[in-house]
Amino acid sequence: MNRSRWRGPLALFAVAMLLMSSCSSRGDDSSDDGGDGGDGGNGDVESSIDIDDCETDPTAEIEGDTIKLVSSYPQSELVGAFAEIARGWAAYFDKVNEEGGVEIAGKSYQIEFEDKDDVYNPQQTASNIEELVGADGSNAFAVFSVVGTANNINVRDFLGELCVPNLFAATGSVAWGNPDYPWLLGSTLAPYTLEAQAFADYLKENQPEAKVAMLVQNDEFGATYEQGFRQAIEGTDIEVVAVEEYPSGADEVSTQVASLAASDADAFFNGATLLACPDALTSKQDEGWEPTTWVSATCISKTLMILAGAAGDGALSFTNLKDPLNPAYADDPAMVAFKETVEQYRTDFKGRALDLENAIILYGYVQAEIFVQALEAAEAPTRLAVMESVHNIDGFTSDLAIDGVSFTTSGGDDPFLGESLRLVQYDAAAGHFSEIGELQDWEGETLSLTPEDLVNA
Amino acid sequence: MNRTTVRVVVGVLVAIAVLYAPYYFEPVWNRELSRAAYFAIAAMGLNLLTGFNGQISIGHGAFFGVGAFTSAILVDTHGWSFEATIPAAAVLAAVVGVLVGIPALRVKGLHLALVTLGLAVLFPRVGQKYIDGAGGVALVRPKRREFDSLLSFLADDQWQYLETVLIAALLFLLAWNLVRSRVGRAMIAVRDQEVAASTVGINVARVKVGTFALSAAYAGIAGALSVMIDRAADATNPLLAFRNSIEFLVAVVIGGTATITGPAVGALILVLLRLHTDGLIEGKEVLSPAIFGAALITMIYVLPEGIVGGLGKLFGRLFPARAAVPATAGAAGPDPSTTTTTPTEEEP
Amino acid sequence: MDLFIRYILIGIGNGAVSAALALALVLIYRTTGLLNLAQGEMALFSAYLSWWFTTHGVPIGLAIAFSILLSMIGGAVIERVLIRPVTAPGKSHLNVLIVMLGMFLAINAISQLLFSTDAEPMPKPWPSVSSPGDPVGRSARLLDIGNTSISWAVGALALTLIGLCLFLYLLLQKTKLGLALRAVASNPASARMVGINTSAMLMVGWALAAGIGALAGSMVAADRGSVSPGLMTVVLVYAFAAAALGGFDSPVGAVVGGMIVAIAESLTIGYVDALSTIELVVPFALILLVLLVRPTGLFGRRVVERV
Repeated sequence: MNRSRWRGPLALFAVAMLLMSSCSSRGDDSSDDGGDGGDGGNGDVESSIDIDDCETDPTAEIEGDTIKLVSSYPQSELVGAFAEIARGWAAYFDKVNEEGGVEIAGKSYQIEFEDKDDVYNPQQTASNIEELVGADGSNAFAVFSVVGTANNINVRDFLGELCVPNLFAATGSVAWGNPDYPWLLGSTLAPYTLEAQAFADYLKENQPEAKVAMLVQNDEFGATYEQGFRQAIEGTDIEVVAVEEYPSGADEVSTQVASLAASDADAFFNGATLLACPDALTSKQDEGWEPTTWVSATCISKTLMILAGAAGDGALSFTNLKDPLNPAYADDPAMVAFKETVEQYRTDFKGRALDLENAIILYGYVQAEIFVQALEAAEAPTRLAVMESVHNIDGFTSDLAIDGVSFTTSGGDDPFLGESLRLVQYDAAAGHFSEIGELQDWEGETLSLTPEDLVNA
Repeated sequence: MNRTTVRVVVGVLVAIAVLYAPYYFEPVWNRELSRAAYFAIAAMGLNLLTGFNGQISIGHGAFFGVGAFTSAILVDTHGWSFEATIPAAAVLAAVVGVLVGIPALRVKGLHLALVTLGLAVLFPRVGQKYIDGAGGVALVRPKRREFDSLLSFLADDQWQYLETVLIAALLFLLAWNLVRSRVGRAMIAVRDQEVAASTVGINVARVKVGTFALSAAYAGIAGALSVMIDRAADATNPLLAFRNSIEFLVAVVIGGTATITGPAVGALILVLLRLHTDGLIEGKEVLSPAIFGAALITMIYVLPEGIVGGLGKLFGRLFPARAAVPATAGAAGPDPSTTTTTPTEEEP
Repeated sequence: MDLFIRYILIGIGNGAVSAALALALVLIYRTTGLLNLAQGEMALFSAYLSWWFTTHGVPIGLAIAFSILLSMIGGAVIERVLIRPVTAPGKSHLNVLIVMLGMFLAINAISQLLFSTDAEPMPKPWPSVSSPGDPVGRSARLLDIGNTSISWAVGALALTLIGLCLFLYLLLQKTKLGLALRAVASNPASARMVGINTSAMLMVGWALAAGIGALAGSMVAADRGSVSPGLMTVVLVYAFAAAALGGFDSPVGAVVGGMIVAIAESLTIGYVDALSTIELVVPFALILLVLLVRPTGLFGRRVVERV
């Protein structure tokens, strides 16, 4: 009885401590970067971005010698797999810092970064970003590599009003082409429309009278695939004979695939992502259905394709980056250097085991590479200049990108980075995708290939 | 110092702290506190249903969502002023509450829990199917300017905080009054002894369905307020409504079931706990949910009646009520110092 | 017609998955009166454990057996350490719910920490066809029906379910242990008075349920081809639905309930396009209808309320 007398009050004391330790008062924040007045930006950069409504001054120079980047992405629970993207860019930034940092307009800056877990929840993303950037935008220079379409959508207003750049959003959504949001940039992930276009082009050449069945997710990701594909086959003899939707988050789609298989289609656009993708492939095999199959580029991952096994053999997709699983690149000097760097700087990361063959680590690494190049090409160390720079990327390359791939953006006409791609085909026996065919270049074409209401959503 | 004086003093201190908070804290913190406030409203709603009326629900996330989307769509697409959407959200949520409350007359206990779970699981899917929001995803995001402060000397976040807290205080007052009234006693009677209650003339069906509707309305109002604080109504996450439902229940239990201040305390603790356990261990972020879970378990062990319940006991020990019947051997009748979950012994 | 059969078969396959977990839920309910929210995550941990054994060279059948054994010990420990303190008579049911929620989160996170944060390929304890590049293989064909076939996966799951139902029936109805378990669930005080060790019985109940959960989880993972952190979250909802439909105290009800829910969903996906992506409405509406007519589920026992 004596012990329990103290439990209650002790617990209440603990709770009170919890409350008090949470307090931080107004006006307490330490502001450093991008804060108060520098003079107007150097140089005569033609600004295509309207800065009149900005709540902060995007022409203010970075104070000190640190560029602060912030991010929000899933780090725990089931969706924590996306955290591997950050492992890639964190390793690269560490390397750059050690080699002297980034040089902008003659001065060297170290890259500092901070991130929070949003468990893929857009509300949490908004909360995190608002905290990390600060209500007046003074806690960070820019936002980098936020994962998820809805997640990025949920912060675009806030960041747009503050005129804080949101760079290399990790999704292929075509909404990044929306001219109302000039402070946003997508990543090298190809916009979803191009996947639809690529499959359509492939069929035009190899199966000009194809009957296509499509499996798509029930949101804008799926809608972009479906509408993009329908637009791409206009005027051809290809026709869409069946479309099935599945709810996002589902890991089992056998009924939908059974329905598609019964439609007599001889081509299959598997627009499923995460675990639904290999499940669609194995279900296809269970049905004894053998159409020409395209898999979403989001499915190009060692973990996912292994689960599909032989059912994934022959599946098509495309990519613009070298696949760390592909033995053809085992001795590639850039690949070797990449693996070494990640091992050197980020073997430990958020409590996750390291698997260098996970392609999304390489993807994150490349985003950082391109970003650093864009930073160094900026005319001044200001947000506006950096944004101008990323909107005018002129043929940047990376040694980790497939030969011949270059990344270009040009303002409002071409806001997408990943538009030159190479078709790949899965070889189940070898356990990886192999590159086939020529490099396909849709540079600058995504906007014209995509229905407008998807872009301006 | 008698009980009433202490209660009044504590109440005044808390009120001062709550009203002063927005001036003291940064916007980020005001947002978190506002979040705790609307959470508290939803938790209070659930408390009325589960704590005072004994009907379990793990579907309040769906009522919350209904309120949120009602408000967001009215503001965004139809240009309503935000404050006008709050009653609309309440009404719509209440309607859904009635639709659930009627079958709940027959379906009880765990089965009811499942049916309400179905609601929480289906809501995001229905949202994804029918709502075409910003960027093409099931997210409706009204412009920030729609929520500008109505008082010019207050910053947006301060104004939003005060509005939320004021509405919360009103709703809590309403609940307190309700619970002490005839209707409230009927609710509790139905919870404790449904058959007996019907024999004394209580219209059990009306009480149960009514409580469901009211409870849903509270959750709906909370949802509407969340649109102001979070500036979005979101259905992209298939598990969000489910998660919210569970968190409301956690807030109710941790705060103290069938108490009036319990839900508020529980909501605050929940919000703070989440903030503190996120990424607590550098390098092992995977474990954050485990720490949160461990904290919940610990709290329940140490304070099985919830925080307010535990406080009530402490209070009772420090300031014993007068005219307590001494529990001498041979004393007839029940011991009045045992805690029962009737409202008369709780903090107002 | 073939397509219809195909849908039914897929439904049976999915139903078997949720029915397996539902059996664990039913067992805990029968023996302790509680609904274990964390059952899915416990099963997940067990599935990861089975997988872990296979990565150390243990054949899958043995791996599952080890996992079942260890899970049973784990289940007993959890009951004694985590659940018992909050289920003393007089304590609110809701408190247990919170503890189970804490367990749910904690066990999932710990699984990820100890085993893997990724989806890992899971070998199959039934005949399968291997192919190059495929670490686990596809389930072999068991039976041919018309133009379609039943795979070994469905067959194995069905057999397991029947076996488990039989086991539970025999245990609970025909053994002294079962009698003791039921006595403790029904009236702990009286049970203690006739000399039953209530503490041990509660632990046994949880141990058995954990064992069944381990079997269920491992089979589910084998059927899906992989064990991943999100494997059981959705299955739990379906299992809950199955148990509610069938009656929380009936193993047969859980199996039948699981089948009905899954088949209803499958047929809706296949034939009702208007409900695309909200097909779940149909099974839930069905459950609601059944519960309105029989509030304790299809096979549940009627509860007589004494005033």
